[in-house]
Amino acid sequence: MLTVETLRDYGANVKEGLGRCLNSEAFYLKMVRLGLSDENFEKLRTSVEKKDAVAAFEAAHALKGSIGNLALTPIFNPVCELVELLRGKKEMVDTGTLVETILSEREKLCKLDA
Amino acid sequence: MNTDEIVRRSKRTVLIVEDELVNQQLLGFILRGSYNVIFAKNGQEAIDILHSEEYRVSMILLDILMPVMDGITFLRLAAEDERIHSIPIIVLTSDNEMELEAFQLGAMDFIKKPYDMPDIILARVRRIIEFVEDREIIKDVEHDPLTRLYNRSFFFEYSRRLMDSEKERSFDMLAVDVDRFRIANEVYGRAFGDQVLCTLADGIRQILQENMGIGCRADADLFYILIEHGADLNAILERIRGCVRDGEHQSILRIRMGAYCQIGTDHPVGWYAEAAGSACDSIRGNYQTDVMVYDEALHQRELMNERLIADVDTAIEERQFIVYFQPKYAVQGDRPVLVSAEALVRWIHPELGFVSPGAFIPLFEENGLISKVDNYVWREAARQLCVWKKQYGLNLQVSVNVSRKDLFNSSLCDLLRDIVSENCLTMDDLVLEVTESAYSQDTAQMLQAVNALRDAGFKIEMDDFGSGYSSLNMLCLMPIDALKIDMKFVRNIVTSKTGYRIVELVVEMARALNVPTIVEGVEDQEQYELVRRVGCDVVQGYYFSKPVDAAGFEKLIEKEMEQRG
Repeated sequence: MLTVETLRDYGANVKEGLGRCLNSEAFYLKMVRLGLSDENFEKLRTSVEKKDAVAAFEAAHALKGSIGNLALTPIFNPVCELVELLRGKKEMVDTGTLVETILSEREKLCKLDA
Repeated sequence: MNTDEIVRRSKRTVLIVEDELVNQQLLGFILRGSYNVIFAKNGQEAIDILHSEEYRVSMILLDILMPVMDGITFLRLAAEDERIHSIPIIVLTSDNEMELEAFQLGAMDFIKKPYDMPDIILARVRRIIEFVEDREIIKDVEHDPLTRLYNRSFFFEYSRRLMDSEKERSFDMLAVDVDRFRIANEVYGRAFGDQVLCTLADGIRQILQENMGIGCRADADLFYILIEHGADLNAILERIRGCVRDGEHQSILRIRMGAYCQIGTDHPVGWYAEAAGSACDSIRGNYQTDVMVYDEALHQRELMNERLIADVDTAIEERQFIVYFQPKYAVQGDRPVLVSAEALVRWIHPELGFVSPGAFIPLFEENGLISKVDNYVWREAARQLCVWKKQYGLNLQVSVNVSRKDLFNSSLCDLLRDIVSENCLTMDDLVLEVTESAYSQDTAQMLQAVNALRDAGFKIEMDDFGSGYSSLNMLCLMPIDALKIDMKFVRNIVTSKTGYRIVELVVEMARALNVPTIVEGVEDQEQYELVRRVGCDVVQGYYFSKPVDAAGFEKLIEKEMEQRG
């Protein structure tokens, strides 16, 4: 069950995320669920697999905005790193474990909500 | 709560253009308490919404990276789009490097992702909406709503600021005016007139862009332009004319320009604008000159005009105006018979001496003072006619001029009737001359006024026929008792066959309308013979006598009585 407490334990900056939602817990949790279902996670995975640097950048950039607004720090930080790695690149570069981290952190949260 | 407060507090609409649902919903949630919020998923959807005009949008919050149409493309299109370009845009971005380009394309501010706290976002949105609304109000106040050029007072203010900040440069003040604009407005309608003014303003805007100047619509069809000294004024006028000439009917309009070159700091800006306007006015109706520069001669003429205007009341009180009489003779009998006289005013000024009627009559016609002078002449002429009737027992008419301005006076008929009865005259004795050009403006009102005078029993002569722009059709509509052919025709009657034929045709036409003709300006035997031959009924001019004072006219009466035996 996803709650403010579980998010705090997970490592989210709940104070900041809630603040953006005018301290409405219900709305914040609704937005977090919406953020976790963002199709850009899937787009990121497939574009990295296909070594499409431009598409990967676009997906990561989109996630940076929304995940950042939700203050989901464990996902946000690797997303930011990935965006900077891919910025302006036409060819895929070595992104190390960043994509796996992003996807697994997202998975962790999804499981919390299960 | 006062009206301003109600308007301030009414909910504005904010359009959020963002493809990311979380960001979109979050911003909407923050703003919803204070604004109506609508959404678009990309730039194209935003444009469709804004063009639909279903909403009056006060603010656009714009993401940059979006599918279909990104934020940068939207900014470019918005800058060119009349319906969008005045709406303030705040860009939503997580990238600093986009900032400069977005600012250059017209964005007013940024909201960074992740977003600031809601209070900060709300404060930014509110501040920018207020700022832009205030800016729009100021823009409306300082601009003419039709042409979007500055209005007169802001033009003067900004001209002064421009000159103060550019002290090493010198400037010219131009006035641009349209001849017969009011008539064109009447004939072709208000929409046509507005179209002309907008086209003219577009032409002026081009000039301003090329010459780093500013301009305004000062009044009706009068525009002022301030540009750096040295531009070719004729070329400027030609450029403006070129714009106007392209439109339908617009070739009938004549645009003229007055200028005050190298304006100084001795007077307020408005003074120089008026000087340029005076120069422009000085060539009204003068088709030889299209550009007139204000100079010392014009300045002196203006000073003289002011003097004449200031002195008119004293002149009436002190009887400085003298009524002269020019005889009119019926010429179709065995010998010319004195039948009438035209009363003409002369001004003997105690300091200036003889003031030419050409110097004060057009001036007073323009500012309305002519009614005072006319009134004086009517009374003097009627009084004199009364004296002659008693003294000589002769059946004689005197015609007096009725200016266009007089015809607007609703009590004109009563006034003239009183003058007639106070002097024991009949309506037939005092004939009214109304100039042809009076009919060509405000035709309906003129017709009504002239009809009222005729209904009261007065006889109307149409003066100066053929000197202006009257249509022949108007002759059929005009209630007149005599047609007075302009002296310009007489000048041509001897030298040109066509001139002769024209007078003949006018006389035939008048005869067909059952209206007698009077020809003025007949100066010599040859002209006299010819006008008599074409069938003119009455002749006035130096051939018989120049205008003379009452004593001089009495001699003509006595001569006439002698001839009658």
